[in-house]
Amino acid sequence: MNNYVIRTNGLTKSYRGRAAVDGLNLEIKKGEIYGFLGPNGAGKTTTIRMLLGLIRPTKGTVEILGKDLQKDKINILRRVGSLVEYPSYYGHLTAIENLEAIRRILNVPKSRIDEVLEIVSLTKEAKRAVKGYSLGMKQRLGIASALLGSPELLILDEPTNGLDPSGIHEIRELIKRMPQEHGITVLVSSHLLGEVEQMAGTVGIIREGRMVFQDTIVNLRQKAAGGINISLSEPESALWLAKDNGLAGMVQDGKLYFDGINDNQVAGLVKRLVENGHLIYRVEERNKSLEDIFMEVIGEVKSL
Amino acid sequence: MIGRALSSDFLKIRGKGIWFLIFIAPIGLVVMQALNFGLRYDYLIKEYRGHLWEGLISNMMAFVPLALFMGSTLVSSMLAGVEHQLSSWKQLLALPISRTAVFTSKFVLSIILMAVACLLLSVFTAVLGLCLGFGFPLPWSDVAKIGFFPFIGSLPLLALQLYLSLTYRNQALPVTLGLALAICSLFTGSLSEWFPLNWPALAYRADHQLPFLGAGFALGLLILIFALLHFNRKDVN
Repeated sequence: MNNYVIRTNGLTKSYRGRAAVDGLNLEIKKGEIYGFLGPNGAGKTTTIRMLLGLIRPTKGTVEILGKDLQKDKINILRRVGSLVEYPSYYGHLTAIENLEAIRRILNVPKSRIDEVLEIVSLTKEAKRAVKGYSLGMKQRLGIASALLGSPELLILDEPTNGLDPSGIHEIRELIKRMPQEHGITVLVSSHLLGEVEQMAGTVGIIREGRMVFQDTIVNLRQKAAGGINISLSEPESALWLAKDNGLAGMVQDGKLYFDGINDNQVAGLVKRLVENGHLIYRVEERNKSLEDIFMEVIGEVKSL
Repeated sequence: MIGRALSSDFLKIRGKGIWFLIFIAPIGLVVMQALNFGLRYDYLIKEYRGHLWEGLISNMMAFVPLALFMGSTLVSSMLAGVEHQLSSWKQLLALPISRTAVFTSKFVLSIILMAVACLLLSVFTAVLGLCLGFGFPLPWSDVAKIGFFPFIGSLPLLALQLYLSLTYRNQALPVTLGLALAICSLFTGSLSEWFPLNWPALAYRADHQLPFLGAGFALGLLILIFALLHFNRKDVN
């Protein structure tokens, strides 16, 4: 019945009367990668801190793995691994010692340390002090710490923040493997849609503390159904020809734009335009990128 | 649960210079007395004839409360620094361990560290006395008392310092307060004997030591409980 790994009900956190997170209903199903999106300051980190019991909600409840966080915090946290914002580590210790410090609290077998180092490919560097690590390596160590307790749920807050493209790629591949190879449900937050769309099955978009979109990435893409751009010599008169062909378009930036027309209509229109002496430079498909939709959803499109 | 947190904490303070401080502080106190007695040997030997050991210990005792206050301040701040430095609180407190266990473990660790320093002080004092040729019989109980009675009297300050250091990310406040209190303690001797800064000295010097030991222990515990209540409720950012 209850196949939600995380479910929040009206989750709210106010600071001096201003709601940083406002009535959030998060629903994350077992075995998926859930992308938690929003611009900086939208309340992602605050939400994640509440999910981990680091801060107390002003209102609302958090249910993780079918249990109430308030009542069963320790038992829930035993089954959750987390990485909150920039990685926490003890710089003067080596990777192995860092993991050992956590292992002693988790009370898991020592062999787990080698296993998680292997998963994040840090085995070779394991005996160096962590302060000499690159940011990407520190971030991977953070993920290793999160995996140490063999969690069923992994909560990663901005795991690729500040990484270079290859670092981002590494982390992304690592995250993608989690549900497949280890059966772990993943909640990953980011302010970049492009990053999340490549791994997440479901996205939740939060803006000013409120959830403005929560659905599968496929449904988000459908919102992005595209149109056709035609750049040509005389757009204004071409527009009249198109109207004559039964196509309502518009002129944007010196190009014709048609929303939702099919291949035959495009072919017919191009033929007609050529016959009438228009010089056609380019016919291109214009998908609204997810980025565009994201910007629309978070409502910042006007300010740009 | 506290045991596991404690074993983790012992690992984390490796290479942080905390153990160095624990060893160097009692050595410093003893070296001061070695100089004191070394430079004025003939005068002091005449002065304390017949009760040489008592003379040494009472000279030593003049600096013990100050050292305890400063030590509590620095040890607390260094212990807290391990977690503050890279905001490890959010990782530590998202682990399946109660906040009470995390906090208590830090407190127990600071007590262990200070106790080691105090034990060393007792041992080094005995060694110094023997080196100065005070000979046997060695006043074992006084030597042990100088290590541990003032320490118990200083527990309230240790609890307070640890609480402030763990609570505030910026260590300027707790360290300034701790050092200010340490210096104040030099001049509060004339105040009521129930003024807590006087307890470390009185726990050794007073005719009836027990009330001050009890008071130190009780107030320390009270501050610890208050700190725990706050730490358990606090938001971690």
